[in-house]
Amino acid sequence: MASGALFLAMKAIPEDPIELKFEKFPDPEQIAIERERMGLNRSWLYQYGLFHRKFLTGNWERSLQTGRLATDDVKLFFPATLELSLIAMVFGILFGSSAALFARVSPNRWSKSIAMSFGTIGLTVPIFWIGLLALVVGSLWLGIFPLGGRFDLAAIPPPDRTGFLLIDSLLAMDGGALGMTVRYLTLPALCLAVFPAANVSSVLYARLNEPEVNALYTALRARGFGPIRIVFRHLTRVAGAPVITVIGTSIGALLGGAFLTETVFSWPGIGRYVVTAIIDRDLFVAQYLLLMLIMLVFGVAFLSDIIARWLDVVSESKEGGKG
Amino acid sequence: MNRILSMHVIDWLNRGLLSMFGLFALALLVGCSGGGVSERSDVFVFARGSDAQKLDPADVDDGESVNTLTQICEGLVRFKSGTLEIEECLAESYSVSEDGKTYSFTLRPNVRFHDSTPLNAETALFSFRRQMDPEHPGHLKEASFSYWKYLYQDIEEVNAVGEMELEFKLSKPNASLLHSLAVFPASLLSPASLETHGSEFQRHPVGTGPYKFLDWRPNQVIMLERNDDYWGDAPEFKRIAMTVVPDSTVRLLKLKKGEIQAMDGLQPAELAALANDPKIQVYQEAGLNVGYLAFNMDNERMANRELREAVALAIDRETLAKVALKGAGRSANYPMPKGFLGYPDREDGIPLNVEKARAIVAAHPEWFTEPLEIQVMNAPRQYFPDPVTIATFIKGQLEAVGIPTKVVSSDFKAHLNNLRNGDFQAGLIGWMGDNGDADNFLSVLFASWAAEKGTATNYSFYRNDEMDRLLLAGRLETDIEKRDAIYGDALKLWRKDLPILPLVHGDNIVVMRSGYVGFELQKIGELRLASIKKSKQKE
Repeated sequence: MASGALFLAMKAIPEDPIELKFEKFPDPEQIAIERERMGLNRSWLYQYGLFHRKFLTGNWERSLQTGRLATDDVKLFFPATLELSLIAMVFGILFGSSAALFARVSPNRWSKSIAMSFGTIGLTVPIFWIGLLALVVGSLWLGIFPLGGRFDLAAIPPPDRTGFLLIDSLLAMDGGALGMTVRYLTLPALCLAVFPAANVSSVLYARLNEPEVNALYTALRARGFGPIRIVFRHLTRVAGAPVITVIGTSIGALLGGAFLTETVFSWPGIGRYVVTAIIDRDLFVAQYLLLMLIMLVFGVAFLSDIIARWLDVVSESKEGGKG
Repeated sequence: MNRILSMHVIDWLNRGLLSMFGLFALALLVGCSGGGVSERSDVFVFARGSDAQKLDPADVDDGESVNTLTQICEGLVRFKSGTLEIEECLAESYSVSEDGKTYSFTLRPNVRFHDSTPLNAETALFSFRRQMDPEHPGHLKEASFSYWKYLYQDIEEVNAVGEMELEFKLSKPNASLLHSLAVFPASLLSPASLETHGSEFQRHPVGTGPYKFLDWRPNQVIMLERNDDYWGDAPEFKRIAMTVVPDSTVRLLKLKKGEIQAMDGLQPAELAALANDPKIQVYQEAGLNVGYLAFNMDNERMANRELREAVALAIDRETLAKVALKGAGRSANYPMPKGFLGYPDREDGIPLNVEKARAIVAAHPEWFTEPLEIQVMNAPRQYFPDPVTIATFIKGQLEAVGIPTKVVSSDFKAHLNNLRNGDFQAGLIGWMGDNGDADNFLSVLFASWAAEKGTATNYSFYRNDEMDRLLLAGRLETDIEKRDAIYGDALKLWRKDLPILPLVHGDNIVVMRSGYVGFELQKIGELRLASIKKSKQKE
């Protein structure tokens, strides 16, 4: 269904991508040849079928703009985005749950509201603004981090085995490369982490304030456990499930935020690639890539939902029985 | 069983996350202690907003690709630095026959391509034949060769007439051919590289230029390495990095911090602040372009000449250039920049005359019952660094004389599509010249053969037999003074019919850190980085 909607959306664009490929000297003859080659003269049904066959067999078209195979471009740009998003997710969960747990156990209202205000910031301040701020502070003032990019321009990156620089530099046992990768990765990952952190903290905080969790907390306190121990050993078990759901649904937002982050931080990722493809009317690339991303977002959300449900049922029956 | 497993999962997640974070922090410590940015005093880094599309001179039209290729490959002739005069490059000498239909070139001896293929008539032929001949193995089916049909359409054949002699036969005389041969689509590539690089041929250029292609990390950097066997002056920098920094604010921050040495795509608003910065030098010069307002003459209302005149008289182009371009361009009086053949000595373009504009509006209230719709793109081009501001300024000026106006903005490709198909009343658009010849502006803008719906570049759909006759005559005439007179007449005809209103010429701007010398802006917008040297004084 998504593919149908996508196909129709692409067809609904009034501009002809082949004509527009020629920005300065459009030539009718050349345009006719290109259209023929792309199968754009056939019926829509045929084109739709062809789109699917090519998508599923991985036999994607070349980009109209760069002439590279779209599959090669995905292999090139997707790991960069995935690496950034995963690290951002780790940061997000850690910061988000720390803030929520801290707010839950903190004794006074001041510290509680400070912890929770981070959530508000994360959900309201635009990410490119956070990005610029992070660059000014982290790079210009502190001088620790580079002003964007993924790896030193003049240095030689580790041999490309997986496309993930962290893994590649570990595989190559290259400490220098690993350090450099991390230095380039930190600021964009922190910025991208702000949104999931805010999400995780608000969901987790709500969950921690539910009556049965409260009861559990009181019961455990009564047994003489310290608050830190309760939070880390027991409450995380109870509260894990909703967090996993949030993670699943945040993936979409992360990929959405990826474009802005990639632009501010000159990160060579898939977000910028897709948006450029749409602006340039690079029809096939946009079609394949969007379908791939839709499937990915749905897949992750679906999977996380299943895991969360399973965890929830299990943990409730256990902790409930105990209380 | 299930319960215990689930607890393990959560505990494992907890520990996993914490240990990943720990590892990351550790690596960060190592990374930061490992010293700053690697020593790179031998690398010159130039940053721009987007990446090159392809690196095949015969099949590109984006500035990023062309700017990269300029360092790598060269043509038979070139423009003398900073001018529109032709000088020898890979040709040692050249001559044009009496009838203007045969061009002969003698190639420079002892020049080798980067893959050490020697330059001779045989190897030089390749780059022309592959564009002309659809059966040629270098005529890749995914390439469009769109420039060939426009700038070089009169070339009938190219032949090797001796070991080092190349001869072009033309179907009819074409006065702008030498200029066209100095432009990037006529650059020479090594024929051997087609076999060596196969499907990567369009991404691995092998030329004769001062720098060799080394490596391309898409959307990050294209790395070039000095050609130590270069026939001309040896460049100073060992490597040049053409890097991508999409955000213009970040690009400028990088320049100020010294992570990059030079950049283009500056926001005009920054110009004033940079003028007083001793660490930065700004190179700025009128570009070979024109930003204009196209009137769709196929539109019933816009077909009224007096209406077009009223719009033209109402717009203060001087102020427009100052306010909306913020010093990054100058006002235009003619459809092409100063210095072109046909450009009048005494400029009497279009005066600002608000009273007269008001009088026309008052005389024809029936034309102005509906607002005049001006279409504009929302992304910057060299001639319009901030197109929507320009449109808004024009709207203000038109409404002041009583012309109700509406501004409609869309992204560049959608805008281009509307203009090419004639789906507009008035549209803001521009033209960037290719070879510094008047024909390259006037034929593109005013020839009836460029006014086909769908593929038009004459967006006003102006069709006039007298104009066509003048344009064709200008191409055939090889006498400079006679050509000058022909294009002068064409400009008079433009002023009489007013199919477009020229507004501004956007500037070429390159910003560089202080402490580097030897760089010069080129008229046609080429970026020649090989001549840059570190200045002897300390930065």
